[in-house]
Amino acid sequence: MNIVIGTLVLGLLAAWVWQKLETNSHRQDALRTVRRMVRSNLPRLVIALITAGLLAELLPANIVQHYLGHTSGLNGLLIACALGMLTPGGGFVSFALAAGALKAGAATPTMIAYLLAWSQFSLTKVIAEELIFLGPRFILTRVAVTFPIPLLIGGIAMWLAQA
Amino acid sequence: MTHSSKNTAETPHGQHPKGFDASFMILATICLIAAIGVAWTKSPTDVVRISLESLGFLALLSPKIFCGFFIAAAVPILIPPDQLAHWVGKDSGPRGVVVVSFAGALIPGGPTMIFPLAANFRLAGASTATLISFVTAWNLLGVNRTVIWEISFLPIEFVTLRVLLCLPVPILVGFAAHRIFR
Repeated sequence: MNIVIGTLVLGLLAAWVWQKLETNSHRQDALRTVRRMVRSNLPRLVIALITAGLLAELLPANIVQHYLGHTSGLNGLLIACALGMLTPGGGFVSFALAAGALKAGAATPTMIAYLLAWSQFSLTKVIAEELIFLGPRFILTRVAVTFPIPLLIGGIAMWLAQA
Repeated sequence: MTHSSKNTAETPHGQHPKGFDASFMILATICLIAAIGVAWTKSPTDVVRISLESLGFLALLSPKIFCGFFIAAAVPILIPPDQLAHWVGKDSGPRGVVVVSFAGALIPGGPTMIFPLAANFRLAGASTATLISFVTAWNLLGVNRTVIWEISFLPIEFVTLRVLLCLPVPILVGFAAHRIFR
């Protein structure tokens, strides 16, 4: 259902953008870029989705429940943050793993912390892309200002779940 | 590559990763290890089943992915990055923080689009606080990623809670950075 709604929303948005592009040459330019995006992303997408499926299958329920479950508390949040940093960039892997972990008994707050740590500090993304374009100084500053966020938001979610 | 289109070749928006770079190799290695793990602990037929299921899921998501790519490709044509950078660079105060927080959440595209764009903002005079807000907004609230990927995998209540909790973060972080680095 989520997928259907998401597809409809993006379809409508894409149609609106198509209209906005007005000229045919603009539309052709955009489609050329899309072709390039597909070429460079398709192998990655295929491998990432297969990896996510395989890793979700390997998640051991008892370990997930113990370290990331409802009673894991602050330790669970910290473990989730470390795992998030180690998960490679590209949305599919982390989201699929989080979904698998939730099914295996992980708590919502720890998985929120996991996704926030991944989205902000995933090492492959930071090293492969952010470092090249924005430099080490910027990254250090950004990390200094934003590092508590996954713990903080995860903590708030935990507090809300108990309230 | 004889026909790279002019409006993308010159702008940072148009840079895309090569198909098989280091991060791809890391992913492929993890995939191989996971496949061996599943074959070892379960059975080799499970590897085939999961792979086929994943490809089926990709097919299901493909219209959405295609629309997302198209929007991401069209935005730099509709809003030239240089113009956007000029606009962002001029207003590096608290109001700039609010503006780039929205921009970071709404501008579609992966890291190879967003980071060069942020570098452009910096060249145009944007402050560190503004850049931190922009990158944080994209990291936490990028609409494209949430609509294409996050809601495809995770329950809608989970996604809603996560997004609501993150909503004020880019602006708060930007204000904090603005105070620290003024």
